[in-house]
Amino acid sequence: MSSEKIILNRQELAEIVNKIADQILEEFYNNGNRFADVVFVGIQRRGVPFVTKLRQAILDKVNIELPLAKLDITMYRDDIHSHKNGLPVINETKIPFDVNDKIVILADDVLHSGRTIRAALDAITDYGRPKVIRLATVINRGGREFPICADYVGLVHQADPQNHIKVKWDSIDSKEEVIEVVFD
Amino acid sequence: MRGTWNKKDLLSIYDLSAEEINMILDTAAEFKKVSERKVKKVPALRGKTVVNFFVEPSTRTRVSFELAEQRLSADIINMAASSSSLKKGETLLDTIKNIEALQADIIVMRHSTPGAHDFISKHTNCAIVNAGDGAHSHPTQALLDIFTMREKKGAIEGLNVTIIGDILHSRVARSNIWGLLKLGANVTITGPATIVPKEFEECGVQVCYDLKEAIKDADVINLLRIQHERQNSGFFPSVGEYASVFGVNDEVVEKYIKKDALIMHPGPINRGVELDSSVADGDQSVILEQVTNGLAIRMAVLFLVSGGLNND
Repeated sequence: MSSEKIILNRQELAEIVNKIADQILEEFYNNGNRFADVVFVGIQRRGVPFVTKLRQAILDKVNIELPLAKLDITMYRDDIHSHKNGLPVINETKIPFDVNDKIVILADDVLHSGRTIRAALDAITDYGRPKVIRLATVINRGGREFPICADYVGLVHQADPQNHIKVKWDSIDSKEEVIEVVFD
Repeated sequence: MRGTWNKKDLLSIYDLSAEEINMILDTAAEFKKVSERKVKKVPALRGKTVVNFFVEPSTRTRVSFELAEQRLSADIINMAASSSSLKKGETLLDTIKNIEALQADIIVMRHSTPGAHDFISKHTNCAIVNAGDGAHSHPTQALLDIFTMREKKGAIEGLNVTIIGDILHSRVARSNIWGLLKLGANVTITGPATIVPKEFEECGVQVCYDLKEAIKDADVINLLRIQHERQNSGFFPSVGEYASVFGVNDEVVEKYIKKDALIMHPGPINRGVELDSSVADGDQSVILEQVTNGLAIRMAVLFLVSGGLNND
C-alpha cells in the first residue's frame, strides 16, 4: 500500500526555480565571472523542464538567453543490465554547442544516490572538457551512495529509502508539484 | 519514445511488433549521434562479451557488427566456420554450448540454414542476434533500410516502396516486406516472374512484372543484388537481359521515377546489372547512408538485447 503527500506545491516549486536562478546569477553574472560561457544541460527526462525554467528565469531577470542542451544518460548507466522489467528507453541527447571550456550548469530534478550524476559527468566529458561543471537539483532526498553533492539545491528532504520522490512538470505531467509516494 | 524492450534475441523482423520496430529505430537515432562525436564510444556494453559467429562468410555485415560492438565497449571474439570445430564435425549446438560455457553474453550469427537461430535460441541463455539465415531473414539489414527511409521521408506509413530483383532467394526482401508492412507502407515487388513469385501477394504486397509501372509512384526503390550464383541457374536467360529489362539506368531515372524517390541497395552493388554507376553515385542514391545507418541500427540492437537479458 502507498499514499502520496505533497512536498512542494506549484508556487513553492516556482520559488525554488527563482532562488536557484538568483544563485547562478550571483556566482557568474554579478561577479562578471565568464557569464558568456555559462550553458545549461538538463538530464532526461525531468531535468529538462527544470533547466528550461531556470533558463527562462535568467532571461527574465537579465535579458540573456543561455544555450540549452538535453542529455540522456542511459548509455552510461551502471545498472542497464539489471533492469528486471526491461530496458528503459533512450531519450534524445541534443547538445547544440561545443562544451569545451564552458561553465556547465548540469540540472536534474531529484538527487538521490548520485549514480545518475556520475553517468552524466562521464557522458558530458565524452563531448569535451568543460571548464567547470556545477550541479543544480530541485530536491536532495538523501540516500547518497557516491561522493556527489549539488551546488544549487532547492530543498533538502530526508525521505525514507523505500519512498519515491516525484517532481512533476506541466510539459510532461500536466501538473507542477513535488510529491512523496510513501510505502507502508 | 516510450515503452520497454523485453526480448532476449533478435531473430526476425517477423517476430517484432510495430512498437518494437519503432523502439529500435528511435534507439538507433540516438546511437547514430555517438558516431558523430569526437569520442565515438559509450560504455553501454562494458564487461559484456560478444561472439561474432559467421558460419556463412560475410564482410560488410561482420565489420559493421564488430565496429558497433567496439563503439559500445564490448569485448569481441570473431569466429568463422572455416576456423571453427564445425569443420571437425562438431554440431552447431555443441559449438554454441561451448561459446556459452565461456560466459559469452551475445552471439551474432550468420548461418546458411533458415531457422538456425530460432533453434539455438531455445538452447542457450546467450542473446542471439540474427545476421542472416539463408533466404529467410536479415533483420538488421531491413531495420537499417527502414531507418534510412524514415530519416529521409519522415514516416513509413503510406510510403510507396518498390523492391526490384531476386525476391525468391532474398532474406533482405523478406525482412523488408515484413517490416514495411507492419509500419503501414505500400510494398510492390518486381523482377522476372521466375524469381518474383506471385504467391508473395498473400503477404500483402503488390506483385508487378512491368518495371515502369512498378516504379512510377515509388517513394523508395530498393534494388537487390543479382547474385552471381544465380546467373547460370535458369531463372533468367542472362545477366545482360536482366539488366536491359529490370536494370535501373539514367533513362529509367529520368523518365520513369519520381524526382524525390530514394535509390537504395543493400550492397555489394553489381554496377551495370541492377543499376548503372551514374545512378548508384547519383543524387537520389542513399546507398552509403545505408551503410552509416547500419552501424547505428546494430548498436541499438546489441544494446537492447543485452539489456533484455535480465540474467545478472
